[in-house]
Amino acid sequence: MKILGISAHYHDSAAALVIDGMPFAAVQEERLSRRKNDAAFPLLAIEWCLDHAGIGPEALDAVVFYERPMLKFDRILTCALRAFPRSWRAFPKAMKNSLGEKVWVRGVISSHLGLPRRKILFTEHHQSHAAAAFLTAPTRRAAILTADGVGEWATLSIGLGSRPPDGAASITLTRELRFPHSLGMLYSTFTAYLGFAVNEGEYKVMGLASFGRPTLVNEVRRLIRRTPDGAFALELEYFEFHTTTQRSYSSRFIDLFGPPRSPYDPIDLETPEGKRFADCAASVQRVLEDTLVDIACALRRETGLPDLCMGGGVALNCVANARILAESGFERLFVPPAPGDAGCAMGAALYADRIHFENPDRMAPDHPFWGPAVDGSALSKLAREDGQSCNEMTDAELIDRTAEDLIAGRVVGWMDGALEFGPRALGHRSILAAPHSAEMRDRLNRDIKYREEFRPFAPVVPIEVADRYFELPPGGARLARFMSGVFPVRPEWRSRLAAITHIDGTTRLQTLEQSMAPRLHALLESYGRRSGIPVLLNTSFNLAGEPIVNRAVEGYSTFRRSGIDVLVAGRTRVVKSASSATRKEKIACSRSVAR
Amino acid sequence: MEIIRILLRPLHSWIWLDTARRGRKLLRFAEIEADGGRDLVRAAEVTPDPLLRRLFLFHARDEQRHAELFRRRGAALLKALPGSSRSGLRADWLAPGERGLDDLRIEELKDGALLAFLHLSEKSAATDFASYRDVLERDSSTRAVFEEVLRDEAYHMNYTLSQLVRVSPEHHRVLLWRTRLSRLWKGYLRLALALASVISGLILTILYFTVLVPFGYLAKRAALQEPTGWQPVATDRGSSLDRQY
Repeated sequence: MKILGISAHYHDSAAALVIDGMPFAAVQEERLSRRKNDAAFPLLAIEWCLDHAGIGPEALDAVVFYERPMLKFDRILTCALRAFPRSWRAFPKAMKNSLGEKVWVRGVISSHLGLPRRKILFTEHHQSHAAAAFLTAPTRRAAILTADGVGEWATLSIGLGSRPPDGAASITLTRELRFPHSLGMLYSTFTAYLGFAVNEGEYKVMGLASFGRPTLVNEVRRLIRRTPDGAFALELEYFEFHTTTQRSYSSRFIDLFGPPRSPYDPIDLETPEGKRFADCAASVQRVLEDTLVDIACALRRETGLPDLCMGGGVALNCVANARILAESGFERLFVPPAPGDAGCAMGAALYADRIHFENPDRMAPDHPFWGPAVDGSALSKLAREDGQSCNEMTDAELIDRTAEDLIAGRVVGWMDGALEFGPRALGHRSILAAPHSAEMRDRLNRDIKYREEFRPFAPVVPIEVADRYFELPPGGARLARFMSGVFPVRPEWRSRLAAITHIDGTTRLQTLEQSMAPRLHALLESYGRRSGIPVLLNTSFNLAGEPIVNRAVEGYSTFRRSGIDVLVAGRTRVVKSASSATRKEKIACSRSVAR
Repeated sequence: MEIIRILLRPLHSWIWLDTARRGRKLLRFAEIEADGGRDLVRAAEVTPDPLLRRLFLFHARDEQRHAELFRRRGAALLKALPGSSRSGLRADWLAPGERGLDDLRIEELKDGALLAFLHLSEKSAATDFASYRDVLERDSSTRAVFEEVLRDEAYHMNYTLSQLVRVSPEHHRVLLWRTRLSRLWKGYLRLALALASVISGLILTILYFTVLVPFGYLAKRAALQEPTGWQPVATDRGSSLDRQY
């Protein structure tokens, strides 16, 4: 059976193809269209998934959209009516936005793919999150917790998943919190207040939080009241996200926390203003963590199960995940590589396969590499055309040379095999560097990633030696598989791992099993033999404001425009020539223009 | 063109006189330049021509630098103002930035068509930026930003034209005319869409204050009765995947 899952129209569009119960292909639209957080209907992603499988749309048994559009429209309309007459500006915008394409999803899919309407199905948004988290995790029975900004109405759901070895899988969401009471919206409101882009800058708030102290926790708690049943409710007079499109916080919010930060002003952590913003971030982070830990503790008591699967955008908060693992009583916490809306494409397809069509359950491969593969020969061609130094070599030679490059302090663009599905670079589209000095962190932030100096970098380490360098609690290595948890660097290694040790002594670790990415694992071992520490700095292969690279040509253009010294794609290695990307070359180009 | 520039001078003087508007416009220009830079990176990635690839990458880097120049100056202007002075009409239609790449589908264009488009877009931006520079006698820092950008625009105009002649020696004039017509058509579409948006917004606002009033009242009453905290999920709620609701 061939089932296509689609997520689209809000942020992070994606398509995923499931064939005979197994994930076959999945890719975010932004990786192909090259528009960051592309929310458009994912035609390119669908086309690639079908091409990769060698089938046409007519071969699909079903296409599953990741949420119910009319239910979402119901929420938007109801909220506009509830806020009458304050919503008069927001109402026309919301209607135009919804009525243009978003509520006609069945027709849109049917016309794009030429499929009969009966083949088009809809899951609920949080069902898709739950399926993406549970049906891809190596567990038979688990509690499920999904949390995000909002789906149709639900903002946080809990339930149970079961996959008996010889029976049908089931996912039962038992209760939920409904819009506007949303942990995701609380965090996004602070994201906007702190001058970062909503749906994109939340991880900056998490990074900034480490620089502050949670001195404003009591103020944040005034925004979010705990209800007697263990849930929470937002005090809506502090928010405007449910009534306007202009801003998400109200004047009362500003009275409580002070003036918001201008997105154009840099954060200077030496100034009282900068410290206030860091304290705000630390305080909302603490409240988010406390709330999630309480809910997870109750869920553990209620289910008695050892495993928890988490999905939704809130599950990208690695600091909260680590606290849930440490304090909730769950022994294992599974967060998929794409817990956000993109992952819902995979979740929707798997949900339809297992639950709707009642196909037999199968364990999905436990890796994130479902996208297009990189072609090293394409890089060779590009590099030679541009007169760059380029070699093709055996795997062993390439790994040794790359390890030597890293030892010499060079920054390496690393492209290997199939593209990751999800927001993290987990070793197939990564920028790698030596993790030992703070200068390397500053260089990467300044010359390569062009981003704020407070942003931390993550390490990758072979799973078998991870415990030597990092304080991993039971279940920590699993949570770190897809870089979903933040753990302390052991104090004795912090000075030698300065580039990846955050100000609070922690790091967002990736533990790598050899079977998941054998070449990167070999590189770590080779680097470890030379340096004594088999740990590398691993950051996503992209520049600020751009999606992670996909093909060799995109890696190459990123390499040319940034301070990356060496580029590896497949078995091809390109070293940046000394004159490359300088004014001199521009003059040379100008001369050839004149000729 | 010179006559139009002279005629528009009082309008531009008025637009650029207000510091808050000036700051916000520069920030808007920064966004447009950054977007244009990303489109040029894409152009470099899709072209099969190695020389064009290098030129587009240089051009993209220039656009990123312009974005940073505009962003810094715009932020500095706004920072110097008291909070209450920060709002106001931005007048984007009357004094545009380097628009033109906004609705471009890079992957669908051949090198010649893209170069023609880039050339005309740079030319139009250079004319606009020169007008803005001329009315900014009293703000030497902003004027200096435009002067620096204009130096690059001249280079961009030259290289795009000479490359157009190189890649399409027989048809470069046709391509330029076709692009001019396409820009006119896109301008008309932008105008028509804006007009349609205003009309539909008006109709929806009228509906909001007439038809929706009783529903608003009912929705408010219903909201008051809605319990907070956990809501049970009915067991059969998500059982059918055929429904959109």
